[in-house]
Amino acid sequence: MEKAIELIDVRKHFNGTHAVRGVSFEVLDGETLVLLGSSGCGKTTILKMINRLIEPSSGVIRINGKDILGQDPIEVRRSIGYAIQGIGLFPHMSIADNVSVVLRLKGWPEDKKRDRTGEVLDMVGLEPETFGPRYPDELSGGQQQRAGVARALAADPAILLMDEPFGALDAVTRNVLQQELLKLKQTIKKTIVFVTHDIFEAFTLADRIAVLHEGRLQQIGTKEEIISAPKTEFVKDLLLRPIEQLKDFKEAH
Amino acid sequence: MPVEFITERLPELLLRTREHLLLTGVSTGVAVLVGIPLGIYISHRLWLRPFTFGLVGVVQTVPSLAMLAFLLALIGKIGVVPAIIALTLYALLPIIQNTVTGLEGVSPDILEAAEGMGMTPRQEMRLVKLPLARPVIMAGIKTAAVISVGIATLSAFIGAGGLGEFINRGLSLADTRLILLGAVPSAMLALYVSFAISSVEWGLNERRRKNLGALSGRPGLLLSLAPLAVLFLIGGAGTLWQAGPKGAVKIGSKNFTEQLILAEMLAQRIEATGLSVERRFNLGGTMVCHEALAKGEIDMYPEYTGTALTAILKSETRPTDPDEVYALVSREYLKRFDLRWLKPFGFNNTYAFAVTEEAAEKSGLRRVSDLRDHAPSMKAGFTSEFSERPDGYPGFRRAYGIEFGKVLDLDPSLMYDALKKGQVDIIIAFSTDSRIPGYRLSILEDDKSFFPPYHAAPVLRAGVLEEFPEVGAALAQLSGLIDDRTMQLLNFEADQKKREVAEVVREFLEGKGL
Ligand SMILES: Nc1ncnc2c1ncn2[C@@H]1O[C@H](COP(=O)(O)OP(=O)(O)OP(=O)(O)O)[C@@H](O)[C@H]1O
Ligand SMILES: [Mg+2]
Repeated sequence: MEKAIELIDVRKHFNGTHAVRGVSFEVLDGETLVLLGSSGCGKTTILKMINRLIEPSSGVIRINGKDILGQDPIEVRRSIGYAIQGIGLFPHMSIADNVSVVLRLKGWPEDKKRDRTGEVLDMVGLEPETFGPRYPDELSGGQQQRAGVARALAADPAILLMDEPFGALDAVTRNVLQQELLKLKQTIKKTIVFVTHDIFEAFTLADRIAVLHEGRLQQIGTKEEIISAPKTEFVKDLLLRPIEQLKDFKEAH
Repeated sequence: MPVEFITERLPELLLRTREHLLLTGVSTGVAVLVGIPLGIYISHRLWLRPFTFGLVGVVQTVPSLAMLAFLLALIGKIGVVPAIIALTLYALLPIIQNTVTGLEGVSPDILEAAEGMGMTPRQEMRLVKLPLARPVIMAGIKTAAVISVGIATLSAFIGAGGLGEFINRGLSLADTRLILLGAVPSAMLALYVSFAISSVEWGLNERRRKNLGALSGRPGLLLSLAPLAVLFLIGGAGTLWQAGPKGAVKIGSKNFTEQLILAEMLAQRIEATGLSVERRFNLGGTMVCHEALAKGEIDMYPEYTGTALTAILKSETRPTDPDEVYALVSREYLKRFDLRWLKPFGFNNTYAFAVTEEAAEKSGLRRVSDLRDHAPSMKAGFTSEFSERPDGYPGFRRAYGIEFGKVLDLDPSLMYDALKKGQVDIIIAFSTDSRIPGYRLSILEDDKSFFPPYHAAPVLRAGVLEEFPEVGAALAQLSGLIDDRTMQLLNFEADQKKREVAEVVREFLEGKGL
């Protein structure tokens, strides 16, 4: 299978703090790679380097075999769907306008824009007639997250970057959205890089998981590989922690 | 306020309102066109921020009159142009400030989303930042416009017209009705402008209009622009209307009653020759009049020899002989400014001691020297300026060897009442003040010629007499026509009886067979 995204020894430091310290991995066409790690380990930084919101300090990033540093950042971003951490819907636009704004940038005609907007809103389970004309603050948190995903999907990009898109949700809603995303994955066949710090979310959604700690890649593989052969202390710890917690909880009662 | 007072002045009220709209409209418009792009520019370059805000802030703290005077000196024009420049400078701060604040207030999440989906910086500005900053920017525009309406009332000081004309005239003539005729419409205008801009803001906010049926679309937007459009129509119509023929001879005056009377007299004499006249009265003081005359913005105005000597020529020598002063002033004016002094009107508006008519009669006071025996037992009321100036009371004591028993410092406006009520026995007045006949006061003759002479005469551009030879002849007839007493009475008609200046002047000239 083709490599959709390739990172080779990518580093990023923000005057002094080393956010990413030499990370290499690849994401295959149509694969879902989950970046898993605790807060501050560099997940968002890696994602933003892929769509050139952040320039790497060193290293190479290729998309479909081409180095993105040689390309127009605007073009790179338009070819990638991005659901940001936090929702980032435009508060002055209706949900329909929010979703279709990418299409507007690409100069789509009005009727095609309307059709496509309805289509993606349907995909994320928002009834277009009801939710299209509403404004972001007239939606629940979960509905806003869905709208954010719909916006990332609108231009039908081959690559989707999703930064903890279900971050702010309760466990139940979160689970519903995860299941929906799984279904969606079957139908849309996209390369997805999905960021989370929740190990169960990673197991649910990933084809492969990349575990990160303090800016370094600890291990990359399927969930079976990671569970059966954790490579570093950090990964072991990550797997054991939920079990330990459960045990502590039982003893306390 | 009697209704006919307003109805008589309705045409002028409309004209002044239009002028006012033009001043505020153009200046706010320019401030918007300059301020918003500047605000956008600064929002990208934060290091510029303290610098620009500091600069515009300093401009803001310059008193409006000082600003107008400064611009007058800088560009050498009176009228609409310096007024609009000044108003624009004042309007810039709120607009720039609110643009920058509004743009900075957009949350980083939203900007990241915009950038992440591949918006160019321009698209990000147009589609995201500006719409989100719009309420704050509109609030800035509203502040600017309301400030403009207020400050525009001061533009009348430099002959830019507007509702300030009424206020100035009211102040010069001490006529509250005129002041209100300018102040009330200007306050109403400020409220209306604020309403009109709020209406536009409402119209631009699609979301707020969302559930209003027919108003949710384009008709609602158009409707929201209507109140502002009304202002444009009125202001625009005013400009066309004003674009009528300009007067051939432009006459200026300072902003007090006597000046208005003298300038009106010049105007009526010149009109009698068939020439048309443009009245640019009520300019803000000696410097404004002089600058305007020197730069050819006006052709003539009445000036006083003593004022010209001290304020304009800043002469070191201070002769007290009237003819000598007149000769010195007219020689220097011609040499330095190419301006001509015509023959004086006759009266001398200088410091003068005034007592009540009864006291004058009882004690036989006619000349200042007559005070010698009475002074030690008299209580005098002086302005603090007169008490202090070396050519005031200190100089007077030396020149006449006379000292009053007691001296009180009084405000000029209270002095005359204090004398009338017997709280003081003698005051230092101006010799042509309307309250002299009004309060039945007597002026004592300055028999030692101690006070500097302030004889009024028309000052005009030398070119005017060549261009319109008939002007010289028409004005020559005014020479020596008005003595102190006559000027007091003319001032009295306008000041105390509140009669129209034009009418008072017409009556006077007819009485003299002119
Ligand atoms: N613009 C920046 N300037 C300075 N330091 C930064 C910047 N952006 C990120 N960092 C630092 O880089 C490190 C990695 O940040 P990053 O946002 O990638 O973490 P993350 O893994 O996404 O964490 P979270 O799960 O909390 O979102 C952190 O220590 C962070 O403080
Ligand atoms: Mg993050």
